[in-house]
Amino acid sequence: MKAIMSVGALIGVVGLLLLVGMILDIVPSNTVRLVEGYMPVQMLLELALFVAGFAGLSYMMTAMGMTFPRFWQGILFWAFILLYLKFRVYPPIPFSVRAMYGTVSLVAVFMWVSANEEDWKKFKQPIMNILDAQTGMNKLLRYAYLIVLPILIGGFSYNAMVPKSEEPIELRTVHPAPPASTKVHGKTYTLQTSQNPYRVNPEGKYDQEYTNANIVEQGMGRLMKPNANPWDKDAQGYLKYVREGGEIFFQNCHFCHGDNLNGRGLHAFAFNPIPANFTDPGTIAQLQETFIFWRVSKGGIGLPNEGFPWASVMPPWEQHLTVDEIWKVILFEYWHTGYYPRTWD
Amino acid sequence: MGLVAGKKLFSIMALGAMIGLLLLPIAVSLPSLAIGADAPDAVKKEGEAKVEKGRDVYYKTEGIVVGAPAPKTTDGPRDYPRYNFESRVLLWFANQQHLYYGSFVLAVPIFCMVIEFMGVVTKDKAMAKRYDQLAYDFIKISLTAYSLTAILGGILIFTFLTLYPAFFGYLSSIFRPVMHIYALMFVAESGTLYIYYYGWDKMKEGFLKWIHLSMSVILNVIGTLLMFLANSWIGFMMSPAGVDEQGRYLGNIWHVIHTALWNPLNVHRILGNMAFGGGVVAAYAAYKFLASKTDEDRAHYDWMGYIAMALGVAFLIPLPFAGYWLMREVYAYRQQMGITLMGGLLAWLFIIQATMIGILFLSTNYYLWQALGRMRGAEKYQRYIKYLVFLLVCGFLVFITPHTIVMTPAELKAMGGQQHPVLGNYGVMSAKNGGINVIITTTVLSFVWYMRGNKVSTVSWSKFGNIFMGVFFGCAYLNIIWLAIYGYYIPANVRVGLSVPQVATTLSCLFFMFALNGVMMKGAKQMGPIEWGKISARSQYALIMLATAFTWMMGLMGYIRSSVRLFWHVNEIMRDNSPWAYTHTVGFAANMISFNVLFFWVSILFVFWLGSLGIKKAPVEAKAGVPGGAPQPAGGH
Repeated sequence: MKAIMSVGALIGVVGLLLLVGMILDIVPSNTVRLVEGYMPVQMLLELALFVAGFAGLSYMMTAMGMTFPRFWQGILFWAFILLYLKFRVYPPIPFSVRAMYGTVSLVAVFMWVSANEEDWKKFKQPIMNILDAQTGMNKLLRYAYLIVLPILIGGFSYNAMVPKSEEPIELRTVHPAPPASTKVHGKTYTLQTSQNPYRVNPEGKYDQEYTNANIVEQGMGRLMKPNANPWDKDAQGYLKYVREGGEIFFQNCHFCHGDNLNGRGLHAFAFNPIPANFTDPGTIAQLQETFIFWRVSKGGIGLPNEGFPWASVMPPWEQHLTVDEIWKVILFEYWHTGYYPRTWD
Repeated sequence: MGLVAGKKLFSIMALGAMIGLLLLPIAVSLPSLAIGADAPDAVKKEGEAKVEKGRDVYYKTEGIVVGAPAPKTTDGPRDYPRYNFESRVLLWFANQQHLYYGSFVLAVPIFCMVIEFMGVVTKDKAMAKRYDQLAYDFIKISLTAYSLTAILGGILIFTFLTLYPAFFGYLSSIFRPVMHIYALMFVAESGTLYIYYYGWDKMKEGFLKWIHLSMSVILNVIGTLLMFLANSWIGFMMSPAGVDEQGRYLGNIWHVIHTALWNPLNVHRILGNMAFGGGVVAAYAAYKFLASKTDEDRAHYDWMGYIAMALGVAFLIPLPFAGYWLMREVYAYRQQMGITLMGGLLAWLFIIQATMIGILFLSTNYYLWQALGRMRGAEKYQRYIKYLVFLLVCGFLVFITPHTIVMTPAELKAMGGQQHPVLGNYGVMSAKNGGINVIITTTVLSFVWYMRGNKVSTVSWSKFGNIFMGVFFGCAYLNIIWLAIYGYYIPANVRVGLSVPQVATTLSCLFFMFALNGVMMKGAKQMGPIEWGKISARSQYALIMLATAFTWMMGLMGYIRSSVRLFWHVNEIMRDNSPWAYTHTVGFAANMISFNVLFFWVSILFVFWLGSLGIKKAPVEAKAGVPGGAPQPAGGH
């Protein structure tokens, strides 16, 4: 047990020193990098390691007769979580999400320190000591709190009420609900049932399984399937359409959506928000092909009322591309990112 | 002997009468169904030329038009008469209060049935008496609430008739026979409930007890059918069937009832009602516990709170899975409806919902950890609670991460785009499935710890059993988390299917681990009795939090389900042309839900108070040997 806890303590100390070092720029900030694509799991693993580390540290300190008060354990652990979210995770997490995470962490700390009577008593003790004010120091602290707390609360209230000229927060609806049908170049497409006419097998029939088997194995075109190279001049059928879609994409779309389809094209940073990142699992990966068809055809100007704050400058591509070209470019986007369009069956 | 035989005869007659009452609505409804079927024949006799056929909007079958088209309403006193107030809000309030009480009075008899059955089959006579008393306490609470439910139902109908006459007229023209059956079944429900309650003392032993128990089964069958019928109306409003594009009824009442969302709604609502009912009774017990002045009372209400919480949570655990099924059916029915709910206009309400679900599970776990404190020997588990907190909170954080983030344009720019490399991944369903399954599995683990808190297994293979359980839980966590990650590498429709093995893993933990734990703890050495009543006050606040979160979430989900129709009274059939055919802001909706929750809790406190008036007399009666005396707490769980 002691050996396990010692390892935990070591991890805790090293992790903490690294984190503080990176925050204070003593240690290069990329010493332990959060790698794009693995960040979500990496973040949870890091937190798990820190918890194990702190538990080990607490155990070791107690074993050495240097018990760290439970009250300060709770407070400091919560402060650690807030600092981790603020300084460790990059790009920065918006305040609204950090506030949610911070509140949940506070509840978690409360659940931990009050899970049993003994711990709860230990946690409350410093508060009770100050309220009881049996010693001179505690008496002094009680008076200090009596003065400081109302000032702090007043300050927070003032800060909340004072008129500000900050940008208002926006609750952007990224994927507004599409209409039941859309009319493009004079033809009506029912979004629930329409299919991409170029998502076909060698027999020329609509076949999602066949086409799914021919996309790149990983996003951003890193691993192409053997014998499934759209740029092979002999490629036919689906792969040929992917190539044609790619040509259309690089002639029209990549200026904004980027040559890796990650929304970081040449012109991307002229806009806020930058164009959609197709490699993110929250965009085309969770939408039906017909949804993309509707959005590409109608552009930002065609967003429905629900699509507040309509922050999209994408042109209505039906004015520049044919229906076939739109379907082909969508085919390419799925092929290149390695995602499959959503279906319901 | 003769008296007993007479009682038996009377009981059998009473049971027969109840079954008759149950069948009566069906018998009465037959002519109305027959009229529905005859009507086309009558039309036929007048001449084939007058027969008009329509195509069912959902089933795509052809049928003969027997109803009028859905009215095209206009904003004015004819279709939308009003007070100087938003009619929709008035209806919202009336509907929500009726639903709260309706859910409560449908759920409590199911608990009574289960607890009474446990009392009947328990061999320990003292325990049997305690269970019986508990079931009686439960039904007593629900009886006053039952009257209030009926009153609120009346208010709801009057609100519909006076503020939305055109819509209600159309709905009742479609559901005419169903509404009659509903009303008659309500009569049957009332009759059965009153006989069940007032016959408790008379039918407390032997064969008569079984008759009494059978009555609770009948009561619950009627209650459940009542709910199914009411669900058919909201199912029709969301996903109409049995009518043509103009909303004309095509003569097939089953199509109108059996819409695309009817069954998922039925399952979801049964589970939801049970969880809610458990929560409310647990809150009642917590309130009584906190107000108790004697150790005896505290022990009783501690036990009552535990039983109610356990029953409520038993139905809470499968509730998210039923919710997933409902959402899947919504997506299958209309893609845009699903996107409006989960990715579009109402997406933030779902984040609030996820938060409430998380609070429910956190409260349950916290209660169980507190409950370990009343058992000697449970200390060995308490030191590991911090790791359970970590698991729960990680699952919770992922589960509540929004896909659509609230931020300023500056934050959006700093983030480098709408999608965040961490939050973007947590914000989609694959991660959320993992999150909620981790939360539920951890809750199961807490339950297992609780059940073995004061016991030490004496079976020869206990060491192996403990290792097996540990490995099983470890593998379950790994499987759930792995599937959540794997979900990013496969098509979305297959990803949705991944929830099946995740759920199967969670349920395996629930059933196998509970069963194995039960076997291991059979004849276990007790480190000490459960000291009922010796539990922290914090645990009782956790129960109150549990009930409040249930109530709030019910209000929220009802609002989401209703507002997903956007500007339709009946989706794509009858348009809402009132001035209130817009979606409220999230803030307004949250305030309105909070008001409804507050009103419900204030009014149910009144119900509790009424119940306590009867209980005050109990000790006197108990001394006289009348059933209903203060029960003793159970020694086991």
